[in-house]
Amino acid sequence: MPFLDLSKFTKLKDVVFGCTGPDIRRTTMTLQTAESINLEKITIRSPRKPILESAYREWQDLDRLLLQFWTSRSIRPRIGYKDREEGRELRYLVPRMLPELTSRGIVDLVEYN
Amino acid sequence: MPSPLPPEILDLIVDFLHDEPDALKACCLVSKSWVYRTREHLFAHVEFTLKSHIKLWKEKFPEPSNSPARRTRSLSIRRFPVVTFVDMGVGGWIRTFSGIVRLHVDIRGFGGGRKISLVPLYGLSPTLRFLRLDYGSSAPTSEIFSFVCSFPLLEDLALVSLGGNSEVDGWNVPSTSPKLTGCLDLRMLGGIRPVVRRLSELPSGLRFSKISVACLKEDVESMMGLMSKCSDTLESLSIYYYIVGAVFLSAFVVGQYLSATFEPSRA
Repeated sequence: MPFLDLSKFTKLKDVVFGCTGPDIRRTTMTLQTAESINLEKITIRSPRKPILESAYREWQDLDRLLLQFWTSRSIRPRIGYKDREEGRELRYLVPRMLPELTSRGIVDLVEYN
Repeated sequence: MPSPLPPEILDLIVDFLHDEPDALKACCLVSKSWVYRTREHLFAHVEFTLKSHIKLWKEKFPEPSNSPARRTRSLSIRRFPVVTFVDMGVGGWIRTFSGIVRLHVDIRGFGGGRKISLVPLYGLSPTLRFLRLDYGSSAPTSEIFSFVCSFPLLEDLALVSLGGNSEVDGWNVPSTSPKLTGCLDLRMLGGIRPVVRRLSELPSGLRFSKISVACLKEDVESMMGLMSKCSDTLESLSIYYYIVGAVFLSAFVVGQYLSATFEPSRA
């Protein structure tokens, strides 16, 4: 699965990923390469399609990685939604998608266009 | 009767009303001395969508030297071929918008097999900072980039393409290209490769600080190539991958919309 290598981009402060179900692994792999010491913001835009049961495991890999970003570099991840309705749905979905981050209260839901 | 307030104070008062068009229109009727500053705000953004718009503009402002076009900061031209066709008929009025800093041109859904030329808008404003172009397969990528290169101070570039990007070999690369230090926004249903190829050929290189790309998963390699060109300056990155099924659905829906709203015989 081809993915972006962010290791060369040392000035990167802000990354946003638009995630569709099958792409979440690609997002995790890309984020693993982010070494910029300037990185301040990570935003994942909410998936537009329902998440399949099998995809939750992949979300949990992302959950662990984002937790590492929080513990090692104090980067608080954000989940972006398009409108209020999507925001309401996300409140139920996020605890299943990102259980560890949710239980520690270190994920923010933000309106993002 | 001369105003008891100095003109700079009056200008300041009018500036406070910049987002209240009704109040601005009322100000225009107060005195001739108020008109100049009020028009700066009333005509800050102008949009031409229908051929009637440009005819109406010519009717209201018959004298180019008195036209508020020079005060316009942001110009939007939808249905570009229709508007430029009418514009030629009324003496090339679009060129009076020579002080704009933002330009949005939409040429989607036109051409009918013929290639559209953007020459009527080349170098429209030497101070242009932001350009957004919505196009399909009717404009070759080389034509798009010749157009881009006609704006020496351009910083932000947004290219939105619903169709495939048509490439024409043998592009005469201009000797200079814009600064391109701001934001690059690419939304390409047909893939970003031809656009990245042209961007890479620009003689002044790329120094974007922000890149936002919506593309196909197959574009990862092109995307890396593009980002590498800006590795010293890139601070913000946004990526969205289209789902192939959704691509065809959106293209179909937009195609239906355009064919329902545009009747070539009337153009």
